[in-house]
Order: sequence, then C-alpha cells, then structure tokens
Amino acid sequence: MPELLEVSDVVAGYGRGPAILNGISLTVRPGQVQCIIGPNGAGKSTLMKAIAGLLPVRSGEIRFGGERIDGLRPDQILRKGICFVPQERALFPKMTVRENLRMGGYTLRDEALLERRTEAVLEQFPILRERAHQHAGTMSGGQQQMLAMARTLIVEPQIVMLDEPSLGLAPQIVQQMFEIMHMLRNRGMTILLVEQNAIAGLKHSDWGTVLDLGRTLFEGPAPEVLVDPRIQELYLGRSAAAAA
Amino acid sequence: MIDILQVLVLGLALGGVYALMASGLTLIFGVMRIVNLAHPIMILTGAFVSYWLFTLYGIDPILSMPVAALVLFVIGLVLYKLVFAREAASAKYSEMTVLLTFALAMSFDGLLGALFSNTQRVTTPSYGTQAIFLGDLFIPTAQLYAGIASFVIIGGLMLFLRYTRFGYAIRATTQNRAAAQLMGVNVEFVSLVTFGIGLALAGAAGSLVSFIFSFFPAKHWEWIAILMSLVVLGGMGKLMGTIVAALLLSVIAAFVGTYAGSTWSTMTFFLALFVMLLVRPQGLFGDRIEEA
Ligand SMILES: Nc1ncnc2c1ncn2[C@@H]1O[C@H](COP(=O)(O)OP(=O)(O)OP(=O)(O)O)[C@@H](O)[C@H]1O
Ligand SMILES: [Mg+2]
Repeated sequence: MPELLEVSDVVAGYGRGPAILNGISLTVRPGQVQCIIGPNGAGKSTLMKAIAGLLPVRSGEIRFGGERIDGLRPDQILRKGICFVPQERALFPKMTVRENLRMGGYTLRDEALLERRTEAVLEQFPILRERAHQHAGTMSGGQQQMLAMARTLIVEPQIVMLDEPSLGLAPQIVQQMFEIMHMLRNRGMTILLVEQNAIAGLKHSDWGTVLDLGRTLFEGPAPEVLVDPRIQELYLGRSAAAAA
Repeated sequence: MIDILQVLVLGLALGGVYALMASGLTLIFGVMRIVNLAHPIMILTGAFVSYWLFTLYGIDPILSMPVAALVLFVIGLVLYKLVFAREAASAKYSEMTVLLTFALAMSFDGLLGALFSNTQRVTTPSYGTQAIFLGDLFIPTAQLYAGIASFVIIGGLMLFLRYTRFGYAIRATTQNRAAAQLMGVNVEFVSLVTFGIGLALAGAAGSLVSFIFSFFPAKHWEWIAILMSLVVLGGMGKLMGTIVAALLLSVIAAFVGTYAGSTWSTMTFFLALFVMLLVRPQGLFGDRIEEA
C-alpha cells in the first residue's frame, strides 16, 4: 500500500528545551486505524502536535501524499487534509454546539456546503441536535468528545488524529467513542489514534506503533502488537521500576 | 422624576461613548492578551484627526469618523507589524507588551504634544452647544448624537463578530487560540487585523470625544484608569461585559455626580473596580481567571 503520511527522522521539542522527539519515523497507510501506544511522556502527544504544525520540526521531514508539510502553519496543514483532535478537545466553550460545528468548517468557503454538512452532523448525532444551542463548555466530557469528533466530519479530512479520546470517560461512553471513530473510518478517513489504554486501543485498530523516549520502538499489525512480549516489558517493567 | 430620567439618559449616552472607547481595548486584550496602555492616546489621535478636519475644512466630526477610523486602522497594522508581531513568540509576551504599550503611549503623547501643544481644544460643530427638549427632558444634542453614534458602531461590531466569517475567527481565537489554529484560522493574521480594528474603534471614539470633551494630548493618562477598570469589570476581553460595565458605571457616575458632586463621579469607576476586585475578581461576566 502507498503511504499517506510519512514521518522521517523527526526531531522536535518545546521552545528551547531538550528534544522530545528523537529522530522518530513512522508511516500511516490509507484507510486504516493506526494506534500509537507508549508509556507516559513517550512523546505521543508531541508527535501529533508536530504533525499538526503546532510545534516546529527541528530536523527530519514530514510528508503528506508525498509533499513536505513540516514548516507549514497549522491552518495550512488542516487545509491539506489533516485534522487534529487534541487531548483537550479544542472546543470553544462560549460558543454553542452549532457554532462549534460551523467553526469546524471554517476552511470551507462555501456557505451552503457548510450549512448542509452541519445539518448532516446534527442529523447523525441526535444528542448534539438536542443541545445545538447550548454552550459547548457546559456539556459533559463524553458529549464534548462526541462534538469534537463529529466536528471533523464537516471538513472531511483525509486523516484524523485523535489524542486519547477516551480520557476521563465512563466505560460505556468509551465504547460509543470507538464506534464514532469507526464511523469516521468507514467514511473514508484514515485514523491515527493515541491511546493510554493500550489493550482497548489496539483492539479497535488495524496497526499498532509503539513509542518510547521519542522514537518508534516497533510496530506491526495490531493483533500481533497486542500479544508482543515487549509490550509487557515496556508497561510492566516501568511500573515495577516505579514501584521499587 | 424628570430629574432621574434626565440623569439616566445622559448617563447612558456618555456610557455608550465609554463603551466604544473601551471596546477596542477589550477586543485586543481578548485576541492577543495585549493590555494596550496606548489605547487612550490612540483615541486622542482620532480626536485630532476629526478636530483638524473640522477646523481646516469644516467637516462634521461625525462624518469624519470613518476617516479617523481608517487612519487609526492603518496605524494599528503598522504598529502591530513593527512592535508586536516579533514579540508573539516570546515567553514573557504579556509582560513585554505592557512595557511596549506604555512606551508607545509616552511616544505618541510626546509626538502629539510637540505637534499640537498641550492646549485645550474642542471641535465645535453647530450642535455642540444646542440641546433637545423632550417634554421636560433636557438633553445636550452633542452627547445625544455621540451616544447614538456609539451604539450604532457597537451594534455593528457585535453583528460583525456574531455573523461574519472573520467574526467567528476573532471569537474563536479569543476563546481558544490553539483550537482556532486547528480549525484553520491563521491566528497571526487575525491578530494583525484585530489590532487594526481595535485602533479603528479608538479612532472612531476619538471623533466623538473631540466634541463632547475638551481635550489635549496628556489627557489620555486620565482615561487609562477608567478604561482599564471597565475592561476588568467586564471580565477581561469580554465585549458584552465591558459594554454593560460602561453603561452601568456611567449611569451610576452620573447620579453620583448629580447628587454628591462631580469629584465623586470619577471616583465611582475606581471604587467599583476596587470592590469588584475584592468580591468578584473575574469581573461581572468572567467565569474564571484565564492564564495569559
Ligand atoms: N508544553 C510543553 N512544554 C514543555 N515540555 C512539554 C510540553 N508538553 C509536553 N512536554 C514534555 O514532553 C514530553 C513528552 O510529552 P507528551 O505529552 O508528548 O507525552 P505523551 O506520550 O503524550 O504522554 P501521556 O501519555 O502522558 O499523554 C514530556 O517529558 C513532557 O514533560
Ligand atoms: Mg499525551
């Protein structure tokens, strides 16, 4: 399969601080759900921020459909077709649900198209329709996550990056969130997922990439990564060391 | 009864002008977290534009509002590019901008003083000394017009923020800058244009100020504290809050001025600020103290 997104030897960090990504490489193939796992502080969120253009790349390159995108601004990268839903969900607390959806289509210059897609999302998510005029900041965590994910449907990007979408959600809401993720994939979007819960994340994914200390440790089909002994070592070894 | 109505109407008219004076300040703070201490001197710059257009060419100050706004818009773009854009990446951004805007205020104060001297001036259109009588109600025409013009501009600003694409971008950047970027907003561009719009509002306010107050370059020091108190009371960067604070305090100040003497009327703003900081530091409409 051809690569959709290709990260090669990327080094990046915050401000003048030390490098957090230490020459990381990874490829994302179209049509898959690819899960990135790794211990706390491995650089998973940092990687997503670097791809989204929120963090400058110090060396190495990022290509999307063969074209360099490192060095572009976040708004330019979104226009290329990569949408990032960060851990904090990136909602506008004092805008209504409807306004948040419209903001999601900020790059669409066609008002009729924007309105049509906003309606389609509200059609698909009755809870959002019910709360269309409520401020996003007053919704529950699960509803906010639903809004953030549903909002990506408005731009119809090629890649959606989800950073710990299950964070702080009750188990049955997490299940619902994974269903929305699969719905996005079935719409033709490629998903790059970061999950703290490695088992749940891998179970819902096609491909798994394991990160540690700002590098790719190993990767493979999700079911294989799930049973790889190195995973046990990485997670259990860490917690054993922390306990000692 | 008629006294009360009279004071109320005058308070609201003046409050409208204060709201316009503070609206640009609050917009700029909301989007860029810049506390623009140079805002009042920019208002005076707008006042001088209208003053000279009237004195030299007889152009009505209300009609010259767009000119003052445009001049200040351009000044805003240039200042942002020259002074603030390069600071945006600095970790000490907020602290830096306080020093920078203070320096700007001093420079423009000096410049205007050198050009026009610190004599008291006032634009004198024909309605400057007239009054309208509605029944027993007596309203100075100048203040009435200034109030109405302010409300029209503020109304336009709110419609612009609420319904236009660029308005969405400004609100989004104010509420969550990183999220706005992720939605495809070029926040640096939004900052640039918003700084221009903020100063344009100052310029427009200046045109009105030029015929309802007598003014001179150093007068801006008096206004800094009043405008800052409105922005803080309104909840730092919340436009609606600032407008409500301006109207409310102006009306209160008008009553205090009428019944307790004018010395006390300016005090109203600081007293309200003082009490608010003690009781509700996030302001009337703020929901939390946002880290800069
Ligand atoms: N804004 C920031 N400024 C400076 N350093 C940061 C910042 N954000 C993260 N870091 C540092 O970068 C490293 C990697 O953080 P990152 O958030 O990418 O980890 P992560 O893999 O997403 O971890 P988690 O599972 O806890 O979310 C950490 O050491 C962290 O302290
Ligand atoms: Mg993280």
